[in-house]
Amino acid sequence: MTRGAAFGTLLALATLTSVPGCVTATVQEVREGSTGISADESIVVLGRRHKTRGETESGFVDCVSRAVAGGRDFGVMSESDFVDATFPWFEPRTAPVDVDDFSQVVAHPLLSERIREIGVRYLVWIEGTTQRTSETGTVNCTMVSGGIPACFGFLSWENDSNYEASVWDVRQGINVGRVRSEAVGTSFIPALVVPIPIVARVRQGACSSLSDQLRSFLSDEAET
Amino acid sequence: MRNPLPAGILTACFVLGGCGGANVLVETTVPTPLVEPLPLTMGVHFDASLTDYVHEEDLELYGKFRIELGSTQVPVFERVFDAMFARTEHMETLDAPSAGVDAIIVPVVEELQFSIPAQTRSDFFEIWIKYKIDIYAPNGELLSSWPLPAYGKSNSRNFGFMESSSDLGLNEATIWALRDAAAHFAFYFPQAPEIRTLTDRAMQASG
Repeated sequence: MTRGAAFGTLLALATLTSVPGCVTATVQEVREGSTGISADESIVVLGRRHKTRGETESGFVDCVSRAVAGGRDFGVMSESDFVDATFPWFEPRTAPVDVDDFSQVVAHPLLSERIREIGVRYLVWIEGTTQRTSETGTVNCTMVSGGIPACFGFLSWENDSNYEASVWDVRQGINVGRVRSEAVGTSFIPALVVPIPIVARVRQGACSSLSDQLRSFLSDEAET
Repeated sequence: MRNPLPAGILTACFVLGGCGGANVLVETTVPTPLVEPLPLTMGVHFDASLTDYVHEEDLELYGKFRIELGSTQVPVFERVFDAMFARTEHMETLDAPSAGVDAIIVPVVEELQFSIPAQTRSDFFEIWIKYKIDIYAPNGELLSSWPLPAYGKSNSRNFGFMESSSDLGLNEATIWALRDAAAHFAFYFPQAPEIRTLTDRAMQASG
């Protein structure tokens, strides 16, 4: 076995033995208006793209979109389908940044007609990121006698997710509330010959808690 | 052992000397913009300097970069122009006068700049394209040049273990820059003084 193949086998073994770590997630909700959505209406989950720092990962936006759609109480339009259908009104530099801006934009006849056609009732704007906040330790891999690869050491790191979803009601042109999700988790890789990753899926935890809360936020209250 | 796979690829690249730089061939178009068409018949000319445009740059620490932008700009501009004007007419040359159009527009790339995350210590690949739209009278006289700045970025964190791939990052950033150019044109070109004059005249003529 070549040196590369030996390390590849070790990496594969480490991946197979990967164990999920613990994630602590908290969620908060601020309601500013009544909500309610019928089965023939839909929502769209959008990431803010105008910032040069701290842009929300597209994978997180997709994750929330898929998780909210899992409830099947209402439709969920994909971000790319929505921005294409409304081009050029929701591009990074042209998308409304606040509700006042938004009510002016949706007053445009062509856009309001298009949004009515596609049946989108709520826009959910996601902001935030997942950051690695600390990292300690080290793992070193080497070839021991007989050409067998081995890793030794202990590595740990902490990830911190902070995301906020603002919900805009297209029909009323108002912000109906915000849902905030925070998650934190520590991952470890103890290695005694074979490294065993214990990975805390922090972003996934933030996505699940935010999506669950969003689903109930949108459909909990009877429409007024 | 943070992000072991990209680090491994990077190490292999340095050892083998086969990585660094990028060769990007951009192929995209944009959706039809949701805008009211102006009551104008617009001549459109795509010069070879636009359709063959290639940006090449050798960055001392990061390798050779080649961004082939040329041909993909035509479908992008065509899609926007077709939505923006009541009629468009493709002009092969600017030499022959054309009585059938209100004006002729010619998009020109003045400059392209880019940056990669390693240069800026950020997560982003970024592209700036400085276009100008030359506006000609039907007789071929240059009336004015309208500036069209475009910007696009892509987040390397979206590419997972391929986060250091300049090909992927610059390709996506360029696509966003082209969308930005199209959006900026759709929103602001009708406000260009020469276009406002032509539009007012056309509206008065139609009563």
